[in-house]
Formats: sequence, structure tokens, C-alpha cells
Amino acid sequence: MSLFGLGARQPTSAEKISAVENELKVIAEMHTRMIKICSTKCLDKTYREGELSKGEAVCLDRCSAKFFEAHQKISDQLQQQQQQQQGGGGRF
Amino acid sequence: MDAGLTNAEQRELENRLQKRQVKEFMNLFSGLVDNCFVSCVDDFTSKALSGRENGCLSRCVLKSMTTQTRLGERFAELNQAMTAEQQGKQ
Repeated sequence: MSLFGLGARQPTSAEKISAVENELKVIAEMHTRMIKICSTKCLDKTYREGELSKGEAVCLDRCSAKFFEAHQKISDQLQQQQQQQQGGGGRF
Repeated sequence: MDAGLTNAEQRELENRLQKRQVKEFMNLFSGLVDNCFVSCVDDFTSKALSGRENGCLSRCVLKSMTTQTRLGERFAELNQAMTAEQQGKQ
């Protein structure tokens, strides 16, 4: 668990719970964003069919994989740049 | 993810997560209404939904839920892989 910034003292109960909750919140938000973006990029918006076509399904799989890869790449690059500027940094 | 919570803290966390899930569901629902309405309804010569619009809405809901499920699975896989990789780097 990342209790970034809380320093050497023991975190309170509330802080520990909030930290986990926030970590999950970040992940949940990423989930929601990914769905919204990949739906926009991959789905036929005229909804002629109620079922996912093979093309749409494959597109969704690839879109989610690329989304994660882009997230990773951007996180790494940002971290690198911050380290160059300040000699510090954190994980996104 | 973490090993430092007491039972009481764990319960509190689960409580909050449950509330968050309810909120997420409400957001999902309203998002679905907005998205499907925008995509499907554009004929205002009548105040009742046409047969075409009704059909479109049904298909939109169906497709959206299928997409949610599929992307949920992909997300879990990808997130697990990413977490494993991050831990490997540390």
C-alpha cells in the first residue's frame, strides 16, 4: 500500500482506510474511463444490432490493451521527466 | 493489496466500498440512459417513442451491458498484469 507523504509516524485508522479506498477509487475511475473511450472508438452508434459483432469485440479487446499500454508509457515518461527536473517522483 | 487493517477497519472499508458500488451503479444507469437516448431518439414529431426508437434503445442497452462485461474482464486481466509488472520492478 502506498502511504505516500505520511512520513515516519503511524497512520491513523481513518488514514489507512482512506488510503486503500483511494487506491481502489483510482482503479475504478480508470475502468470507467476505459469503457467510455473504447465504446466510443469501437461500437456502431446506430445500434442496428443488439449483439457485439466480431469486429467490435476484437476492437474492444485491442482498445483496452492499448489503453493500458498507453497509461503505462505515459506514466513512465512523466515520472522520468519529473525525476530529471527534481530528483524525485511517484507512481501514477 | 495491503495487510495492515484490523477487522473493524476492514468492515468500515467494505461499508464504504458498498456505498461506492451503489453510486457507481446509479452512474452506470444514468450514463446508459443519456448515451442511448442521444444515439437512438431524434424524432420529435411525436411525444411517444416510435417502434424504431424502442428497438434501438433495447439494442443499445443490450450492447452496452455486453460491452461492460467484456471490458470488465479485459480490465481485470490487464490490471493484474500491470500490477504484477510494477511489483516486479520494485
